[in-house]
Amino acid sequence: MDAVLIIQSLISGIMMGMVYALLSVGFSLTWGVMHVIHISHAAFGLLGAYLAYSLLEYFGMDPVVSAAVSVPLLFIVACGVYQLLIKPITKAKEVIVASMILTFGLAIILENVMVLIWKADPRVLTPTYASGALIVGPFYFQYPHLVGFGLSIVGITAIYLFLKKTYTGMAVRAAWQQPEAAQLYGVNLYRISMITFALAVSTAGAGGISLALLNSFEPHSHNLWLIYLFLVVIVGGVGNVIGTAIAGLLIGVITGLAMAFLPYQWVNLVTFGLLMIFLIFRPHGLFKQGV
Amino acid sequence: MLHVDNLTVCYGQMQALRGVSMEVSPGEMVALIGGNGAGKTTLLNTISGLVPPAAGTLSWEGRPLNSLSPDRICREGIVQVPEGRKLFPAMTVEENLIMGAYLPTVRKQRQESLRKVYDIFPRLADRRRQLAGSLSGGEQQMAALGRALMARPRLLMLDEPSLGLSPKAAVEIFATIRRLNKEGLSVLLVSQEVLETLAITVHGYVLENGVVAMKGPSAELREDPQVKMSYLGL
Ligand SMILES: Nc1ncnc2c1ncn2[C@@H]1O[C@H](COP(=O)(O)OP(=O)(O)OP(=O)(O)O)[C@@H](O)[C@H]1O
Ligand SMILES: [Mg+2]
Repeated sequence: MDAVLIIQSLISGIMMGMVYALLSVGFSLTWGVMHVIHISHAAFGLLGAYLAYSLLEYFGMDPVVSAAVSVPLLFIVACGVYQLLIKPITKAKEVIVASMILTFGLAIILENVMVLIWKADPRVLTPTYASGALIVGPFYFQYPHLVGFGLSIVGITAIYLFLKKTYTGMAVRAAWQQPEAAQLYGVNLYRISMITFALAVSTAGAGGISLALLNSFEPHSHNLWLIYLFLVVIVGGVGNVIGTAIAGLLIGVITGLAMAFLPYQWVNLVTFGLLMIFLIFRPHGLFKQGV
Repeated sequence: MLHVDNLTVCYGQMQALRGVSMEVSPGEMVALIGGNGAGKTTLLNTISGLVPPAAGTLSWEGRPLNSLSPDRICREGIVQVPEGRKLFPAMTVEENLIMGAYLPTVRKQRQESLRKVYDIFPRLADRRRQLAGSLSGGEQQMAALGRALMARPRLLMLDEPSLGLSPKAAVEIFATIRRLNKEGLSVLLVSQEVLETLAITVHGYVLENGVVAMKGPSAELREDPQVKMSYLGL
């Protein structure tokens, strides 16, 4: 094995991993704070990717620029989805199960809508700089990958600062740690849940755009993405933003190395094998849960 | 100031409170005592809007409180220090305090409130960056009380503030509560430390199986043979 290849695939893995982290962080929060396992999270991420695709194709908007439009748009859509679908089931006895079944249905609907609008063919985001690359010595980084990586760092940092530094973010953490006391001091749990859910969906959108800058995508891609979400969240600890980021990087690096050195059909085997081993030995992940 | 009239509260089929009436006047400190499962916590949680009443009325300065959400109740200045303290364990002491001033009505004054709380509890100032989950029991109670003060209460409701504390820490907490009351804060104090509680309050209510079994001036309750037998072990 040569060192250049190892380092190159390590760096690719880190880039990929950061994108996984952004895609997962919201999934982790809705799970942790609301006890909602949002199966259509990845499908919303994919919707973000398709929005970026169309805005690029028809309006020539760069994915980073169009994210400023599509991410807030997803936030608003998600507020509606929360009010219409999620809020009623958070009153159910088995919120986790009810939410999984409901949002599984939503994922299927979203997938079919995406097939209708964008057809089943694989798509790639081809911004103006699509064929450019940064070459540093023997290493080679495609510009879209760097942009996707940058976008995911910005996304993760934003969500971290939101949780630590803003009053609303603190209320999200308070509601997760001690919902009754949070209510006593004026936190409206429904409002906080809606914000958490909508924010999560927005970060999924940003994550989807980032991922679309690295890989091609099609309407059923979210199914595979979903498995990665589970993997990252289980390793990183439900609701733990830093844990999610580290777990994302770790899994990115492992899949990056697997892709470089193993036959393609082994990559998913390694990934899913990891998930199973984790579930058996560390059902609560590497890092502690909590926001 | 606070009037509870003929209040009934149910958990499913079970009636936890049956026709409870009580009141707290401005500046007064009122005791609420009673054995385990009597319904003391239920009463506080109903006033705080966490539990909906099945019948009866709650009013605050002449206005109805029924069916207001907990955040609206807090906005009115009715603030509870819950049983078991219920701090946010993975937040620092200071973050816990800041969360007490979450409502927009008190948020702007939070720096000033914070200074006041640190004045009352210098120990919290020393531990401001420590996670609340790692505090000792006495410090946790200080933090819980401090968090409630951050919400600028006009009526402070405390649910068993001395539970699980060392005798020394309990004395300190009671002294602080008493001082706050002397400064004009109305207090509704739930406690199993019956002797201590009846000594520092003006009025008292004895709750048994969801009904008010006795009420009156605390000094009289303390001499009541029934109270002596059931709660003071005399
Ligand atoms: N969430 C709940 N669901 C069902 N029943 C409850 C609930 N909370 C309290 N109860 C019941 O209501 C009754 C009154 O409980 P409550 O907690 O108000 O009593 P308490 O006077 O505060 O007791 P303690 O001194 O032990 O704190 C008890 O019989 C209790 O089992
Ligand atoms: Mg109680």
